Amino acid sequence: MKEEPIQRPPIEDASRGPLRASSPEGKRLPSRHDAAGIPVRDDRPRPPRDLSRRSVLKLMAASAVLAAGSTACTRKPPRHIVSMADSPEYQNPGAPLYYASTWTEGLVPYGIVVKTVDGRPIKIEGHRDHPLNRGASSAAMQAALLSLYDPDRLRTPERKGESITWREADEEIIAALRSARSAVLITRSSLGPSERALVRAFERACPAVRHVVHETVHDGPRRGAWRKIFGKPGTVRPRLDRARIVVSFDADFLGTEPDALGAIRDFSRTRVPAGQDGEAARLSRLYVVESAMTVTGSNADHRVPLRPSRMPGLVKALSGALKGHDAPLTAFCRKHGLDSAVLAALAKDLASHQGEAVVLGGAHLPESVHAAIALLNDAIGAPGKTLEWNPEPPALRVDDPAAIASLLERGVDVLICLGVNPVHDWPGGGFERLLEKAKLSVGHGLHADETVSACTLSLPSCHNLESWNDAAPLPNLRSLCQPVIAPLFDARQEAASLLAWTRALTANGAESEAPVDWFGWLRARWETGPLAASSSEAGSLRNAWEEALRKGLAGQPGSVDFPGPDREAAEALAATTQPPSGDFDLVIAPHHALLDGRFANNGWLQEFPDPVSKLVWDNAAVIGPATAARLDLAEGDWAAVGAGERTLVLPVLIQPGTAPGVVAVTLGHGRTRCGAVGERRGFNTAPLVGAGKDRSAPRFAANAAIQRAAPGSRPAGQPDRYELVRTQKAFSQEGRPIVLDCTLGEYNRDPASARKHLHIPEGKQLDDEWDYSKGRKWAMAIDLSACVGCGACMIACQAENNIPVVGKAECGLGREMHWMRIDRYQDGDEKNPEVSQQPMLCQHCDNAPCESVCPVNATAHSTEGLNEQVYNRCVGTRYCANNCPYKVRRFNFYNYTKENVTDPVRELSCNPQVTVRSRGVMEKCTFCVQRINEAKFRARNEGREVDDGAIVPACAQACAAGAIVFGDLNDRSSRIARLAADPLAYRVLEELNVRPNVAYLARVRNPHPDVPVAGSGAPDRGDDQHEGGGH
Amino acid sequence: MSHESQAAAPSLKVVPPRPSTLETPPLVKGDVSLKKLDDDIIRPLESFPTRRWWAAISVTGTLAGFFLFCFAWTIAKGIGTWGNNNPVGWGWAITNFVFWIGIGHAGTLISAILFLLRQKWRTGIARFAEAMTVFAVICALQFPLIHTGRPWLAWYWLLPLPNSNGIWPNFRSPLLWDVFAVSTYGLVSVMFWYTGLLPDLATVRDRAKHGLRKVFYGILSLGWTGSNRSWSHYEKAYLLFAGLSTPLVLSVHSVVSFDFAVAVIPGWHTTVFPPYFVAGAIFSGFAMVATLIVVLRKFFHLEHVVTEDHLDVMNRITIATSLMVGYAYMIEFFIAWYSGMAYERYVFLNRALGPYAWAYWTMFSCNVIFPQLLWIRKVRRTVALLYPIVILVNVGMWFERFVIVVTSLHRDFLPSAWDYFSPTWVDVGLFVGSIGLFLTLVLLFCRFLPTVSVAETKAVLPGSQPTGHGGAQDGGAHV
Repeated sequence: MKEEPIQRPPIEDASRGPLRASSPEGKRLPSRHDAAGIPVRDDRPRPPRDLSRRSVLKLMAASAVLAAGSTACTRKPPRHIVSMADSPEYQNPGAPLYYASTWTEGLVPYGIVVKTVDGRPIKIEGHRDHPLNRGASSAAMQAALLSLYDPDRLRTPERKGESITWREADEEIIAALRSARSAVLITRSSLGPSERALVRAFERACPAVRHVVHETVHDGPRRGAWRKIFGKPGTVRPRLDRARIVVSFDADFLGTEPDALGAIRDFSRTRVPAGQDGEAARLSRLYVVESAMTVTGSNADHRVPLRPSRMPGLVKALSGALKGHDAPLTAFCRKHGLDSAVLAALAKDLASHQGEAVVLGGAHLPESVHAAIALLNDAIGAPGKTLEWNPEPPALRVDDPAAIASLLERGVDVLICLGVNPVHDWPGGGFERLLEKAKLSVGHGLHADETVSACTLSLPSCHNLESWNDAAPLPNLRSLCQPVIAPLFDARQEAASLLAWTRALTANGAESEAPVDWFGWLRARWETGPLAASSSEAGSLRNAWEEALRKGLAGQPGSVDFPGPDREAAEALAATTQPPSGDFDLVIAPHHALLDGRFANNGWLQEFPDPVSKLVWDNAAVIGPATAARLDLAEGDWAAVGAGERTLVLPVLIQPGTAPGVVAVTLGHGRTRCGAVGERRGFNTAPLVGAGKDRSAPRFAANAAIQRAAPGSRPAGQPDRYELVRTQKAFSQEGRPIVLDCTLGEYNRDPASARKHLHIPEGKQLDDEWDYSKGRKWAMAIDLSACVGCGACMIACQAENNIPVVGKAECGLGREMHWMRIDRYQDGDEKNPEVSQQPMLCQHCDNAPCESVCPVNATAHSTEGLNEQVYNRCVGTRYCANNCPYKVRRFNFYNYTKENVTDPVRELSCNPQVTVRSRGVMEKCTFCVQRINEAKFRARNEGREVDDGAIVPACAQACAAGAIVFGDLNDRSSRIARLAADPLAYRVLEELNVRPNVAYLARVRNPHPDVPVAGSGAPDRGDDQHEGGGH
Repeated sequence: MSHESQAAAPSLKVVPPRPSTLETPPLVKGDVSLKKLDDDIIRPLESFPTRRWWAAISVTGTLAGFFLFCFAWTIAKGIGTWGNNNPVGWGWAITNFVFWIGIGHAGTLISAILFLLRQKWRTGIARFAEAMTVFAVICALQFPLIHTGRPWLAWYWLLPLPNSNGIWPNFRSPLLWDVFAVSTYGLVSVMFWYTGLLPDLATVRDRAKHGLRKVFYGILSLGWTGSNRSWSHYEKAYLLFAGLSTPLVLSVHSVVSFDFAVAVIPGWHTTVFPPYFVAGAIFSGFAMVATLIVVLRKFFHLEHVVTEDHLDVMNRITIATSLMVGYAYMIEFFIAWYSGMAYERYVFLNRALGPYAWAYWTMFSCNVIFPQLLWIRKVRRTVALLYPIVILVNVGMWFERFVIVVTSLHRDFLPSAWDYFSPTWVDVGLFVGSIGLFLTLVLLFCRFLPTVSVAETKAVLPGSQPTGHGGAQDGGAHV
């Protein structure tokens, strides 16, 4: 174990709330800051006051004797203990330090804050000041921590499986590059500015090198269309916070599209019913036209399931309707069986919300559709208002795989794959053949994955948390990525390798002045670039650098004028739309957590249920119930999914709401070399990428087909029916008042209308009640209008609370351990069901049914209203779990943590502030009691009360929508007290008189008033409902 | 002469007195001397076991061994080896626990309540039923312990032992009430049984020819002399235990039912549970007594001691309790509808029509429909006809507990948490193994202790009791 102290200042900004609250330096007097404004700790253990020289000698003598005696009679500890003799500055044993950094998820660089304890990172949070995610975090961001401590990472450089040194590897590569006539460097698209400069330097140093960019999941078609329409490269960023009407054509902007965190944040800001929480009335209306059911579609006020190949027609009809020609739209609806009332309302809304509406198209749709959508946006005045132009996208444009293939087909001398895995995710597959044609192949990656292990030289990369880097999330804004731990293995950053080769190749050339190491390169570029402006004011580059390190950011995001579109080009492009040529449209989406498969060896993400289907550890071909019935396919049956010449045999998953004529698959599974967790999970669908006729849109095919697979064609060793494990089995509310909602109209008439069918008898108490009105009373409120159901909170909870991963088989038995889950209900017409979602966690009932039945008093109520679980005392009768009406208690059926955490490296990822549970004990949400206590102790030490908002549970901290609010109910001025008393607030199963402490704010939907209510919200359905509450 | 003949005297026609239905037949059939009774009952203890016995115990012993294996497997690996999952925290283990506790009830009912009610016919089956109680409680006690996640702590943390932490068990928890109820029940049952055995143990001791046997039974009989003083003390103690046991018959299963009735889960949270559970326990207990004693009387040639009349009476109790549980099944549906609670209604509809409908209808037909055949006297008295019925009642009563435990849990309030429970081989092994353990204990009991109370049976032999009407030859007990 190598843990080198990292001597960098933690972030500290007294003006900010939670960052400050969660940093160890709670209260600091100005005098305790050093010259650089960096706080100095003084709460180290102090020596006793009367410690004299003599007593020190006495103590030393005594401890020497004791040490001699004990070493003589005890065995040495089996592992070396590294002393903190050179403790990093600011480091106090056991006290957390926080560092600002950057995490790139797919194409988007998000800001993060890493919590470290005793030199090891244990938790990742979103960076509050980062303009993209603004404090929010995604599941993949949370789970990056687990990937850092992945024992399956490549540990040393290897040559065909034999360990070698870095020097040997470098020498071989440099020699090959010197003599190379042709060389190809493949990188991912999300290179930071400094990396891009380095790649350019590398190309200059070695003219034989050709740099190409490979990604399978990218927004190429969209960017391609914009480039043609606006005449220059760039990306468009929707400003959902300014939009009143949002229309999505297959764009899962709240789910798998790039920058979903920013979108959720912005969108949720527009879903605030009037009067609530002091904010102005803002309720946008979301129309979603989509193929497969997605997170975005689940949140739609009006959802229209439609094959993507029919979408251009609809966009065109809508454009016509905006100009006053309603007939084509009506005809389109009649032809394709769509609800014309909804689309007429959509047209009306678009027409009446000039500059306040935005239309989004899915990144996988062909360029022609994006051109049509761009014209529609232009017609509704979106550019510059609800759409922002970014001329410097944070991700590079992806090269055409066919062009790369033809380059490699000729045979190159050196092929370098930096952080990419084309052998796994090459569109259409077959990259290993191209790889073999290279004389020397070099794979640089975190794991010995399919590509790295196939290369001659396999080089271990550093993890994001071990790396220096930078990114340009928005124009004029730079964010910095800093290491928070020394590399755990003999790994080197890809950029550092590239720099080493560049330097060697230009030993006597122009760039020998370049810094020796990657950090120096990065810092030099910052000092001449982003820091140059601010440092002249601050006076010192060093101060500016430290400031940038502390904040993780430099510069202010600027706004750029939207370029004028070339409407003729757009119309010409839109006119190239091809009609569907097959019975089915195939849509290939990134996995909701694994993206293209890069996070496949991460147990948290494998076990993170799909927000829609709740599928874990797998992927499948998703079709609608009607299609399944027509093809006589049941869930788990094998189906041959084909597009063009290519066919894959996949198990079928039936998802209500999937548009007829659509097959949806996700990427990311079917890894063959990535480590014990991710290998042989699900199916690799990359061979289907690029099978469509439109080469501009590789993740879409209009010429697809699906049929029952021939009996002999299923993958070898697989059963007749593949087991697809979902963590939720029943998706109907059964007419029960669980997720309450109302429309905006109903809400305006009566703010409490969502509760109208609740029947809550007066609760009686048999025994003496504890008086919770004194002291503190912790409670939570969850706003169902804001929550989009992305599930990032689940993984944040898992990371914070050391929740074990149990595996597919145990999930299949219903034993997943998540303390928090997102319940999803789909009621009504299964062709297009009404979706309700609800985060469900321990409700910390004051009359907790779990507490009275535990025979050993292992679960009890605290004086502050927490339902506490005492692991030490628990004997595991499971009576509490049986008696929990919410079924949120989780039992350790096996010793999950111990069985899975076998490698000492993996042990490091555990949060030292939370007990690791063993076999046979019950566990559940604690409201992050460790965070509550930390805040309480700090407040007490500082002689003040705990501020409202100072305690943020992990789930609330992660939530991009800000849907979760935690606080003290007895503090009348707190947010939680106001939300708990809101007319929308209700408690699930309140009629049981269990007195839950989690208040849900009923969801306010905003359907267009002209559209007749088909099957309105859950509580209005069914006759039984009136009696649902009991009498 | 009897009442009837005296009353018949003034009648005009003299007809031979026909066998009156009011006249009960003798409890022990045939011309049985005291010596022959001793011989009949005690001989199996004094001879080498038959081949059939060895064959039987090798099968049951294997099953009991498998029980121990599954027990050890569970302790070593964890509850994960069972089929339990997230909504279904309790599965077969608790089903088995309630099943075995219920079996025991017939023994206590026969030995205590029927004793207090002077039902002399009980003598033929009391000893065996009591033994069955003890063995059933032993089987039942295996399950609450291993079903906990950490049995190595649970076995003493559930007891109110003073400890340095000052932590006591939670006296509000029905599981703790269970600990007290079942342990009391087990202790009282064992002492009651042993007290009743004393005179017979002394008889065995007195008949013993082998030295080792003399010592063994000598120690067990605690120096019984058969003196008036011994008998006087014995009768008082026996009466006292009968008095102590009587409330236990009602209380134990009531307390067990509280495990469910006190919970908030629909399908559990039901006030009818205590009487329903007690009736069910007696129902299953009598079925189990009949199941075993029919075999026992055949193989040990005790048909004259345990007669068709005994079977008849037991079957009458069986059908009475069958009607009680049938009533409970139906009233639950009515109350579910009447409550107006959507959750409550759903649970009962789900039982009858949901994924566990097969279990529900197995339970219903075995416990309510088939036992109706016992209305027919011939069925009650014919072994070949009654035997399938009592076997089905045993099956049905196991399913009753399964239905209560699992179907209520698998779909409760929030549909998002619903799931299905399937047992594993360990679940099956523990249940089948516990049957093996039970039968092994029964077989050992048959070899080492008198299966029928010799002393009490002697007291109901024809002519052993004064009738009060001058005649001694037609003595016998009134049922």
